[in-house]
Amino acid sequence: MNEETACLHCDMLANVAGLKEGESAFCPRCGHFLTRKLRDPYGRVLSFTIAGIILLIMANSYSFLSFSSTGLESVITLRQTPGAVWDYGMPEVAIMVAAFIIIIPAFILVLLLLLCIPLHAGHYHPWLIPVAKGIFLTQNWSMVEVFIIGVIVSLVKIAAMATVELGISFWAYAGFSICFTLAVSNLDRYQCWERIEALQRA
Amino acid sequence: MTTPATTAASRNLAACHLCCKLAPPELHHCPRCGAALHLRKSDSIQRTLALLITACLLYIPANLYPIMITDQLGTSEGSTILGGVIILLHHGAIPVAAVIFVFSVMVPIGKLMAMFYLVWTVKRHTPVSARQRTTMYQITEFVGKWSMVDVFVVAILVALVHLGGLLAIRPGIAALCFAGVVIVTMIAAESFDPRLIWDEMEERNRDN
Repeated sequence: MNEETACLHCDMLANVAGLKEGESAFCPRCGHFLTRKLRDPYGRVLSFTIAGIILLIMANSYSFLSFSSTGLESVITLRQTPGAVWDYGMPEVAIMVAAFIIIIPAFILVLLLLLCIPLHAGHYHPWLIPVAKGIFLTQNWSMVEVFIIGVIVSLVKIAAMATVELGISFWAYAGFSICFTLAVSNLDRYQCWERIEALQRA
Repeated sequence: MTTPATTAASRNLAACHLCCKLAPPELHHCPRCGAALHLRKSDSIQRTLALLITACLLYIPANLYPIMITDQLGTSEGSTILGGVIILLHHGAIPVAAVIFVFSVMVPIGKLMAMFYLVWTVKRHTPVSARQRTTMYQITEFVGKWSMVDVFVVAILVALVHLGGLLAIRPGIAALCFAGVVIVTMIAAESFDPRLIWDEMEERNRDN
C-alpha cells in the first residue's frame, strides 16, 4: 500500500504510514487536514446512515410546521417547502431547495449504505468505485445544517405575527441533520479509497 | 532561503482531486477512480475570475429587487434583503437581524472580495504569507453554502404563511438571483486552485 499522500491545498507530500487509530494527520506546510484513522470507521458511518435514513423517512411523513392566526390555520409538510415556491412560478429555486435539503442528502445516504456495507464486511464489489465517487463529488452540495438555521430564523421572523408550532417532522429533520453530518464526517476520503484499493487487490 | 519543499509536482506526481491517489499526470485519468487527472486544476484563474464576475452581476438584482412580497388584506409590500434586516431591527429582533446580515450581506461580499484578492495575488508577491492566503481560501470554501439561509427562509415563509385571502407571502425575483450568487461563488471557490499560491512562492525561493 502506498502510504504517501499530497496535500490538496498546497501539494506538499506527506507520509501518513505511522498514523495510529484515533490520530489525525495535518499538512506540515499549510495545516490543511489530510486524513485520520478511526476505530471501526465503516461501522460508525453505517450506524449514523441507518439512523439518518429512518429519520429522513419520518421527516417526510408528518407535518413540519403549523401556523395559526385569528382562527385560521395552515399546516405544511417538509415537501411543501419547495412545492410552494414551485407553485408561485419559480421552479429553479424550488428545484435547488429540494435538491439541497432532501434529494442530495438522501442520495448520499443511500450511497453510504452501498459503500459501507461491503467495506465493513471486507468484500470487494465493482460498484464501490462509482459509489465512492458519487459521495465525494456531491457531499459539498448538501445543506441540511443550513436549512435548520433557516427554519429557526423563519420561526423568529413570524413569531410576532402568529402562533407557530413545530411538528414531529421538524424534530425528525433536526435529528436527521445531526446523523447525516456525523455519517459524512466519519468517512475519511483517503482511508476509504485506500481500503477500496486494498480490497480490489485482494 | 528555506530549502525547497518536496511537492508532488516536483516528483512529477499529480494528486487526484477525488480520491487523493498520486499518479503521473501523463496518464490523464486517475488509475484508481478514473477521474480526470491534472497537475493543477485546468484554467483555474480564468474560470474562477469568470464565475466571480458572474456572481457580482447577479448580486446587483439580488439586492435591488424584493426577495419576498407580503400580501396582506389587498395590499402587497415587497422587501429586499437589506430592507428585511432593517424591519427586523425595528422589531427588536437583533439576533435574527444579525444572522441574516452576516449570512446574506457580509458572507457573500466578503467571499467575493477574498476570492478576487486571491486571484489577484496568486502571481504576485504579497506581504500576506502563502499560509495565510491558504487559510483565507479554506474559510471562503467553508462559509460558502451558509449564505443559502436567506433563500431557505423565503421558501419556508412562502409555504407556511398562507391564510386564505388575508395573508400570504410570495417569493420575489431576488430569491432566484441570490441563490444564483451563492451557487456561482461556490463553484468559483471549487475551481480555484490554492496550490498556485505555493507554486509562486517556490519559484521565488528558487530565483533567490
